[in-house]
Amino acid sequence: MTTTTDALAGQRPVPVPLNFSKPFWDGAKQGKLMLQYCPVAKKYQFYPRPVSVYTGKRNLEWRQASGKGTVYTFTITHRPPAPFKNVPPYVVATIELEEKVRVISNVVNCAPEEVRIGMPVRVVWTKIGDEMTFPLFEPDR
Amino acid sequence: MADRDIAIIGYAETNIELRSGRSVYDLAGEAFAGALEHAGIDKSEIDGMAVNASFSDAGNPFYSPVLSAYLGLELDWCQTTDLGGGSVTGNIARAAAAIRSGLCKTVVSIAADAQSTENHGNIHAFRSEFQYPVGVMGPPGYFGLLSKRYDAQYGLDPMALGKLAVTQRNHALLNDKACEKLRRPLTVEEYLKSPMIADPIRMLDCVMVCDGASAVIVTSTGHARELGAKRMIHPIGYGERVNYNETDPTPDITAVGHTAAGRKALRQAGMSVRDVQMFHPYDDFLIAIVLQLEQLGFCEIGKGCAYVMEHDFSHTGDLPLNTGGGQISAGQAGLAGGGHNLVEAVRQLFGEGGPRQVRNRSNAMVTGIGWIPYGRNWGSSTVMLLEAN
Repeated sequence: MTTTTDALAGQRPVPVPLNFSKPFWDGAKQGKLMLQYCPVAKKYQFYPRPVSVYTGKRNLEWRQASGKGTVYTFTITHRPPAPFKNVPPYVVATIELEEKVRVISNVVNCAPEEVRIGMPVRVVWTKIGDEMTFPLFEPDR
Repeated sequence: MADRDIAIIGYAETNIELRSGRSVYDLAGEAFAGALEHAGIDKSEIDGMAVNASFSDAGNPFYSPVLSAYLGLELDWCQTTDLGGGSVTGNIARAAAAIRSGLCKTVVSIAADAQSTENHGNIHAFRSEFQYPVGVMGPPGYFGLLSKRYDAQYGLDPMALGKLAVTQRNHALLNDKACEKLRRPLTVEEYLKSPMIADPIRMLDCVMVCDGASAVIVTSTGHARELGAKRMIHPIGYGERVNYNETDPTPDITAVGHTAAGRKALRQAGMSVRDVQMFHPYDDFLIAIVLQLEQLGFCEIGKGCAYVMEHDFSHTGDLPLNTGGGQISAGQAGLAGGGHNLVEAVRQLFGEGGPRQVRNRSNAMVTGIGWIPYGRNWGSSTVMLLEAN
């Protein structure tokens, strides 16, 4: 697990998992990015759901993603929402993973002005509180 | 709907105010009383009510019967609709369906919220789990993501957004119900200089959350005649699309549900988009207007900014747009904000636009946008076509 410089560190609200997301959060603790996979559609989905969004069935599998993707779009946040206070501008990005799902996260370990659409990124993990580990992304140089 | 069997026979709108200190029930009451008076009917005629889910009384699971009780209404049908800004047009369609199926005869459709005074909204699900920890700045953050992608695909012209801001502000100057704080002249230069909050979203790209309410009276055209309605307009087409492209995990986020909703509404009305005489698009952000112009077929995909620069959207222009100032310049009455766009269209169709009355007023298109899903654009898209009698 890599540690990271992170403008929002120490202020992130602790995620509130739903019961069917447990494999995601268990995987996160071990530095594994886990995604739901529909064996019928042969496609991934994110965020976790109670059923396959493709078939409506409950035969979902959990598979480990590569953690690699590209920036689909991003915004530089100048006025953070509550509860964040006194943080410099930071990047919120929609990351398209190699598994063809999108995740909203922060791009860290680079200056906001370096971020570009299409930029390759890889997952890097951060602790939130004592219990939770959350996926952020950094340039995959 | 195209057989003009449903009629809107009256409307009312409160002032849109920032932190009014008023209860959502008080605002709803003012709009209700105003709509009854405008329609010239007795309260006892109302046997159905529809209302938007509000932020102000968001924790109340019995909202529509409680509101009905506050208004002294004994009803055969009532419902709360939670399509956010799509609720208002959605409720006209739901009222029409209820009337046609015999559930009730005459509906008051109310939009009310006092979000800037009281907000009990508490949206969990995926937001608590995956969104709040990364500091997405709410709707401006999501529209920042959308705008950045649009800019990369098609080029986003800030001059076009500035033109929309100024056009709508000029309309708000003619609307004494618009939020007082926003009734100041605006220039394109001031728009361009307004601070970035979620780059490329500027402060003046966004609505200001306010308090306010509106109401319309809906009944069958036959009953409207029996009631001796002095004037009426007809909803002639409606389309609604919730969760557009939901099963595409990597959609083009610049494509929105108005494509589908607009096609359905126009087909029902037997109209082409070229026939639309005035346009009252839901405008929580300026770029939402550009996307709707494209997705509804006013112009080609990716050419929305050029279309804005080529047309005059003022109340005297070739496509009058949000002639009351829109929510961007009149203020957004929380989740009732879409009521402003709807009631302005109804007012214009009745010929009661006063100093901002449009010349060609035989029809209008009104749209709604509601809720922000994860990593997409918006979740609910509604399109309604209205025709003057």
